[in-house]
Amino acid sequence: MTDREDDIWPLAGEYVLGTLEADKRADVERRKDGEPALAEAIAAWERHFAPMLDDVGKGEAPRAEVLEAIMARIGGAPKAPAAPILAPPDPSEAPAAVAARSEIARLRRRAAGWRAAAMAASIALAGLVGLLVYRPDMLPLPTERNYVAVFQDGDAAPRFLLSVDLATQRLTIRPVAAEPAPWQSYQLWIVAEEFGPKPRSLGLLDGVEAPTTRVLSEISPAVLEGALFGISLEPAGGSPTGQPTGPALHGTLIPVSASEQP
Amino acid sequence: MNAGPTIADLTGLIGAMAAGDRTAFEKLYLATSRKLFGVILRILRDREAAEDVLQEAYVRIWENAGRFDPERASPITWMSTIARNRAIDVARRRRPRPAEDVTAAERVVDPSPSALSLLGAAEDARRLDACLESLDPPHGQMVRLAYLDGLSRQELADRFDQPVGTIKTWLRRSLARLRDCMDR
Repeated sequence: MTDREDDIWPLAGEYVLGTLEADKRADVERRKDGEPALAEAIAAWERHFAPMLDDVGKGEAPRAEVLEAIMARIGGAPKAPAAPILAPPDPSEAPAAVAARSEIARLRRRAAGWRAAAMAASIALAGLVGLLVYRPDMLPLPTERNYVAVFQDGDAAPRFLLSVDLATQRLTIRPVAAEPAPWQSYQLWIVAEEFGPKPRSLGLLDGVEAPTTRVLSEISPAVLEGALFGISLEPAGGSPTGQPTGPALHGTLIPVSASEQP
Repeated sequence: MNAGPTIADLTGLIGAMAAGDRTAFEKLYLATSRKLFGVILRILRDREAAEDVLQEAYVRIWENAGRFDPERASPITWMSTIARNRAIDVARRRRPRPAEDVTAAERVVDPSPSALSLLGAAEDARRLDACLESLDPPHGQMVRLAYLDGLSRQELADRFDQPVGTIKTWLRRSLARLRDCMDR
């Protein structure tokens, strides 16, 4: 009916604009599910007005606690995503690293399992790093000059595994359950007493599909051994400030002794 | 230069969220939360309240991911609309702001099109701009103040120094004209 329609459109328009008083607004909210014409008019006004939102600039970032609170609230229902596919072997890799690959695959599967378990229980298995510290036999990298660091956040799964061969100062970062960030870059940092209190960039990771390798000939084995490493999520191309700006994961090196070899 | 997430990126993330992928949600949040926070903060002008609304909005976005229809709206429009709705709900329930607060408030407009704004359909934006411009002089501004800054009828009355009844008439007239203009 025409007069009914004449009523609905301005009502829907004021509802979308937001100028209805609280009780009238709640009234429209209640009615719209049972009145397709009203719902349609609201949807049309939302479409019409939405381009104005383009002009609203990005505000300051909300505090990190907001995301934490949201993740806690949505923790129950969803199921875990599939574990990422293992990257193909890189022929330039050191033999030791190649030998470790099947172990990485096993770790990935374990990581997926941990994640699923954590989801099911709605708890974070925050003790994973501790587990790896106390059970280094899980990571049988072959020589005692080898060190490994695990990067994880509050989730159950490690995101990256870093191994260092001090003999060659070769550092390899393997994504384990790291999520692709197509419009951002993962950046590697080192913190060592010798460099002062601020993290120093070791460059961007090549991505999460394949391992990233760096030979750090300018950093002595002794410094590497005691360093703290960090991986942060930065704008594409790396941190604009020269210091980590995004969410960061940290790891310290754990020696992998020769006696643990299979 | 980082072009930011595309519509396809965001649509893909929302699709993954509908299948229960929390990491997709985390990525969506990191890519869009500053924009949504900007929308909410502009209406509420209170950081703490805005963060509460932001939380509610993203929980709702997560819960409704399965209902997102890319044919009807761009992802950022869909999300911004959810965020804005929650902010207006809160704004209408709380005490009216004093007039001087409203008039003194800076209107923060992003002068350079952000990566996200480029996602918006430029055609629709031009049409809306043209239609708002075609309204009698203060009416277009009134509609923007209501929509973007969340001003109530009373606040608009204070802002334009008019009785509330006049504002109501202006609103109805503006909406009728806009509807004609937008459908043309």
